[in-house]
Parts: sequence; C-alpha cells; structure tokens
Amino acid sequence: MARLDDRGVADILAIAFMFVMLVLAAVFMHTYSLRPLRAATDRQLELKSGHLYMTLELAWVEPYSVSFLRAATENLLIEQPTVPGPYLRSAMENAIEYFCPPGYAVAISLSHDNSSWELSWPEGVGLGVDAEKQFVRQGEARLTMAGGKNIAVPVTVRIFEITGA
Amino acid sequence: MTLTKILKTLFTCILVISFLLVTVSAYQQHRTISALAELTDVTSAIVTRLSVEELVYVDNDEKLHMYSIDPAKLENCPTRWEINGKNFDFRVSVGYETGDEHVLGPYGSAPPDDRTRCSLAVACALYENGRFLPAKLSVIAWRA
Repeated sequence: MARLDDRGVADILAIAFMFVMLVLAAVFMHTYSLRPLRAATDRQLELKSGHLYMTLELAWVEPYSVSFLRAATENLLIEQPTVPGPYLRSAMENAIEYFCPPGYAVAISLSHDNSSWELSWPEGVGLGVDAEKQFVRQGEARLTMAGGKNIAVPVTVRIFEITGA
Repeated sequence: MTLTKILKTLFTCILVISFLLVTVSAYQQHRTISALAELTDVTSAIVTRLSVEELVYVDNDEKLHMYSIDPAKLENCPTRWEINGKNFDFRVSVGYETGDEHVLGPYGSAPPDDRTRCSLAVACALYENGRFLPAKLSVIAWRA
C-alpha cells in the first residue's frame, strides 16, 4: 500500500474520478436545461391537436355545407351520406396534408358499435396508437337519425411522431 | 517526483476550472432555453387568444364561433400585447386553400433580424362569404 502511495496511484484515481464527475455533470446539466423547451414545444403540439379537432368540427367539405367530422359521422352511420366516401377522404387528406406538422403524422378515427371510419396521413402510417410521442384530442360527434334517435360517435384526432423522421 | 506533483496539481486545477466553466455555461444555456421556452409559450398564448377571442367570427345573433376566424378583424387587430408584464410583438397571417393557396396578411410589423422569434401555425376555420373554410393561422412572435 505504501508503495502505491509512493507512486501516486491514489492521486491519479482521485483525478480520474473528478474527470468522470465533470463529464457526468456536464451531460446532466446540459440535458436537464433542454427540458423546459421540449415541454413548451410539446404544449404547442397539444394545441395543434386541439385546433385540428375543432377545425374538422367546424370547417366545411367544399362544395357541401357539412363539416368534416359531420360528413365522416354520416359515412359511418348512414348508407347515403351527404358527402360521398371517396370524395370525403380525398378532401380530408388534402386538408390534413395542409395542416400536418413536419415530421409528424395525423390520424382520425370514429367508431360506433363494431364499425369504424379511419383516416391517416401520410398514407400507411397507421393510427399511431403505439407511437412514443402522441398528442390526442378526443371528442364526440352527434347525429340525429331519421327515427329521431340521437347517436353519439367517439372521435379521436391524434398527431404523432413518425418513427425515424 | 516534484515534476509529478506539479503535473497532478496542474491537472487538478484544470479540472476544477473546467467544472466551473461547465457550470457557468450550463447556467447561461439554461437562461437562454428558459427565455426560448417562455417565448414558445407566449406564442401559444397569442394564437389561443386570437382564435378564441380577438379574431373570432360573431354571427348576426351575437353568437361567438370560437376557432372560426373573421377576416374583417385581421386588419384592425393590435399586434403588440402585454403578457406576464412583458411586451411582445407579433405578425399574423391566415392561409387557406381553394384550389390555389391564398394568404391574408401578414399583419403587423416585420420581425427584427436581431431578435429571437418563435413561429406557430395552427388549423382553424375561416369564415368567408358565408362558408367555413379550413385555414391555417400563423403567428411569428418576438419580445418587443
């Protein structure tokens, strides 16, 4: 032990430990300081998700005077909806492409009993249910049927990060 | 042996100085990031207030249509707001597609090059000629 001290091994170990601590502290401090900005950008995406839902609820599918969500609900529930299915999909895809944040995908799904109406953009990305980073806005679309029956359809609008983007 | 001790002391001093520099640098970065995060949140607050209050379309029955933009209100919208005791300027525009892309605005002064700016675009409905069109509300904000 005395020989080790003579060679200064203890000092070198102390210096090495300080060096490791320095690197760890630098990594920790710089990583931690980015958290508020990440949280703020996540809040912006949450806001975008909410706005997208409201827009689909309010904006009309031109040239029809029916909103996107209402048209999708009709497509799910009734046989002869105001907006034909293929036209609605095309119009909604165009709208979502216009709104979709870069590096993210958008999925819209409506379900009632055992049937569902789903759309996602870009094509083939799925609904993003298992996506690591997702911003979901859920709501309800209501439609009064011919017999006076009022049906509530759960709606989910999800903005999610595309893996590898 | 003396040379070894001198080298050890020197190396220890370098490590201590490096640690202090890293701490100061991290603190400065934290301040910069906090300012950016604040500006990001302020931009979100501006967009929210514009879409649910300032630019909202009000129909003949005085009913507010939140998230629906009245283009007539864009021109007269003040573009300097005080938020959390600080003044922020912003530039707003509304884009929509009817075959081609149209943009209303931008309204507000041009963002200065020497300031940090934050931009945010969200979906909204635009009330035009009795129709609700899908549109994009874009805001660029900076500290006044």
